[in-house]
Amino acid sequence: MAAMLFVMVGGAVLPMLGSDIEGGSLSMGALEDGGPGGAVPAQMTVSVEEGIEGGAEMEVVEMKHSPEKKRRVRIYSQKFRKEWLHLKEFQGWLTEGITDDRAHCTVCDKELLAGKSELLKHSRGKKHRTRAAKSNPNPPPVQHGLSRVIDEDGMPHLLRIVDLRSDTVTQPSREMKKAMMEATLGDDVFSEDPTVKTLEDRVAQMLEKEAALFVPSGTMANLICVMTHCWGRGSEVIVGDQSHLYLWAQGGMAQIGSVHHRTIKNLPDGTFSLNEVRGLVRDEHDPQSPLTSLICVENPHHNAGGKAIPLNWMDELGALCSELGLPLHCDGARLINASVALGTSPARIVQACDSVSLCLNKGLGAPMGSLVIGTKEFIAKAKRLRKVLGGGLHQSGIVAAAGLWALDHVAPRLSWDHTHARALAQSVCEEHSSAVTVDLKDVHTNVVLLHCDNIRVNAKKLCQRLASVTDEESDELSEQIVVMALAISDTTVRLVTHCDIRKEDVRSATRKLKYVIHEYDNMMYLEYKISV
Amino acid sequence: MERTNRIVRASYKIMWRRMYREDVLCRSIPGRQTRQYQSPSHTPTTMTDFKGVVVDLRSDTITKPSDGMKKAMMEALVGDDVYREDPTVSELEKRMAECTGKEAALFVPSGTMGNLISVLGHCEHRGSEVLLGDLAHIFLYEQAGMAQLGGIQPHIIPTNPDGTFDVDEIPVRLRYEDVHYPRTCLVCLENTQNVCGGKVVPLHWIDKVGEVAESVGLPVHMDGARVMNASVASGVSLERILRVCQTASICFSKGLGTPVGSVIVGPEKFMYKAIRLRKVLGGGMRQAGMLAAAAIYSLDHMVHRLAQDHHHAQLIAKAISEEKSRNVTCHPDDVDTNIIIVNLNPEAVTPDQFCERLLMVSEDEIHETGDGGVLVKVMPWTTTTVRFVTHLDASLDNIQAVITKLKYVIRELDSIH
Repeated sequence: MAAMLFVMVGGAVLPMLGSDIEGGSLSMGALEDGGPGGAVPAQMTVSVEEGIEGGAEMEVVEMKHSPEKKRRVRIYSQKFRKEWLHLKEFQGWLTEGITDDRAHCTVCDKELLAGKSELLKHSRGKKHRTRAAKSNPNPPPVQHGLSRVIDEDGMPHLLRIVDLRSDTVTQPSREMKKAMMEATLGDDVFSEDPTVKTLEDRVAQMLEKEAALFVPSGTMANLICVMTHCWGRGSEVIVGDQSHLYLWAQGGMAQIGSVHHRTIKNLPDGTFSLNEVRGLVRDEHDPQSPLTSLICVENPHHNAGGKAIPLNWMDELGALCSELGLPLHCDGARLINASVALGTSPARIVQACDSVSLCLNKGLGAPMGSLVIGTKEFIAKAKRLRKVLGGGLHQSGIVAAAGLWALDHVAPRLSWDHTHARALAQSVCEEHSSAVTVDLKDVHTNVVLLHCDNIRVNAKKLCQRLASVTDEESDELSEQIVVMALAISDTTVRLVTHCDIRKEDVRSATRKLKYVIHEYDNMMYLEYKISV
Repeated sequence: MERTNRIVRASYKIMWRRMYREDVLCRSIPGRQTRQYQSPSHTPTTMTDFKGVVVDLRSDTITKPSDGMKKAMMEALVGDDVYREDPTVSELEKRMAECTGKEAALFVPSGTMGNLISVLGHCEHRGSEVLLGDLAHIFLYEQAGMAQLGGIQPHIIPTNPDGTFDVDEIPVRLRYEDVHYPRTCLVCLENTQNVCGGKVVPLHWIDKVGEVAESVGLPVHMDGARVMNASVASGVSLERILRVCQTASICFSKGLGTPVGSVIVGPEKFMYKAIRLRKVLGGGMRQAGMLAAAAIYSLDHMVHRLAQDHHHAQLIAKAISEEKSRNVTCHPDDVDTNIIIVNLNPEAVTPDQFCERLLMVSEDEIHETGDGGVLVKVMPWTTTTVRFVTHLDASLDNIQAVITKLKYVIRELDSIH
């Protein structure tokens, strides 16, 4: 009988392992090792003990030999393991279940016991296979935001990277790309691109100005605005000393535009003193002075923490400018964020401004592009400047389409970015740590500034710590979380939320922040230091 | 004296108004009713009345991205290029550096910005001067960017009809050290030479310029907006053409069909400066990988088909020369690449009128030619010439239609004058 069984197994002649053959049952171990195919043919009618495979060593089955209870009682049950999500057989349908010892099949909408062999058996079942074939044929391999990292032992780990460096890192979504590909194009240098014209008209209407101009970047938009207002030689511009236009444009207005910066001290809320402005305006009859030609304001003020400038102050500034006979330019890179934060329309904010620059590539999520908005004569001059700077793109409708899609679909959801930012700030506040602090009242939009005391931690160290993962941390958080942030000064770290950051990312970032702050708080009591 | 490029809009209203003002062409078509004259009240202002073919030969920048290119753009991996994290842009830059034999490359939004960055990067110090041809695009059509934005003086050398200038002028015009003189910092070449008619500049001349420039210690920059056309037309590799040039600017948005983009190539140290200059000018685009993917696609699929554009240009030139007209002339030998400069007799017809005539159809023309009528958009170039540019969006059928139309119009003009 045993010999016959051996012959049935693929014709291979296997050595008779006498110790393995007991009565009518054969242990699977011997056959699996020896057989060439490895799989047991279905005709074999033997009772099989449960195969012990690599992943489920934890599973211990104990049989109670009492006459009343013949059921198996599990003392130790297998928990769901995240590594299974990477396996080919489980992709597309496996997710965590309600409790941690259950798994959920999304295709069949069924709760399963979290045991690897159970799940494999389920995946091989006929119903599941037909259902899976009917639904998505190309399932996404890993959940959003997770990456797979192999450590030195060859064990795969799930790594969640939360990029909070800037809202410019947003990637175009599939629907946005589809809109881009379906756009009607033309040559914008000949002013024949209908999509760009649509975008320009739409934004001009939105801000209640006469016309708009599409340019490749915010830097170019601001540069064009300044150079257009300061068309004549020997001009001067009054600009805040903490503003982006002064600090982060590489001195472009001086380098390229031959325009002189005159800085005025920015207050912590992003505004400046209007009386001081009066004092800075030059006397046009004095040959020693350049001519003050423009006043620039930034709304929201990024360096101050993304603060939305109060409406009444903007109106006062506008009144002052018209009194002094000077134009007012608003660097509104994140203007839509400010309008959401203040609860007004963007047009109301820039009512008093003669020109506005608006970015599409920041919170709005377009891949590139900005707009210059102003009067018709202003835009005609701006077009000339755009050409000489090299911003005359040909079929730019392809990128303008992304901007249009963003205005329709991303702009309404900007308040979520603000909520996420507040959640991050709140989590830091809750720690009541003296090492890392944040002022919750200062979080108006999607920017959070964390202040570090220079004693236990400085900004650079905090960024490095947030971007690295220790073993203890991954054990405690049961997830490897990397939070990327930017150190904007020695003691300030900036976190910026954007449309690619979802609730799970915020949750993970919160947990990481709390853990790291807790670590710094306990630093004096812990033996080891994180040497970064 | 050249006239700057003007955009001729195909609006019947403008043409009708011009005709109404007793223009030459109006008087020259007695009794022949062109569509516009049917009734003064009926002035079609849009193209919706027209059922035939419109062929746009104003420039090869009007080319739209193909489906394959759009697919490549959609599937590209992108990142933030200002942080230099965009993998597709990096791949394009690497490929361009390899294919031109230079150390590094940089993706920029336009050819104008590419040239501006190159000139500003070479001429860093105050009081610099650049030697270039008097018909160079940098000198004529970039709004004097190097002077306006960089404080650099252009020093022009007279250009020969084949797109070259006299090499011996370089040491003659070179400035020596004197308090009255600016300092010569750079020599600029252009290949293909646009204003001369898309001429491929001879390789031995480029090498000679390079030799002379090196002997006087000057770098050479090539404005290679259409250098791919030059490479395909002459059969010389890009690397060989650019061998003596320190830097070069190469456009993808022209004959290669990309929607947006150019690349500058050069030594790695220069690229550090170039990245800074690109940022201050406002060319730091974020997820530019989508545009770079289109450029990579064009490198793979669009370069070899440039020969077809050259062939189409030859067909048009041959057709015009076969007419042996005294008013409209063109020599096929003058056509090296995809640009055709057509000479007009100024007494018979001005370039503006010729362009407008090509944008109109008469009833008789439709009857004679048999098809629905053809409208051709071309650009008036100088006071006596008109420019045609063939590109990938003008197929052979379109070119045949253009030739038919041209022949008809030329015969019409000849019969009048």
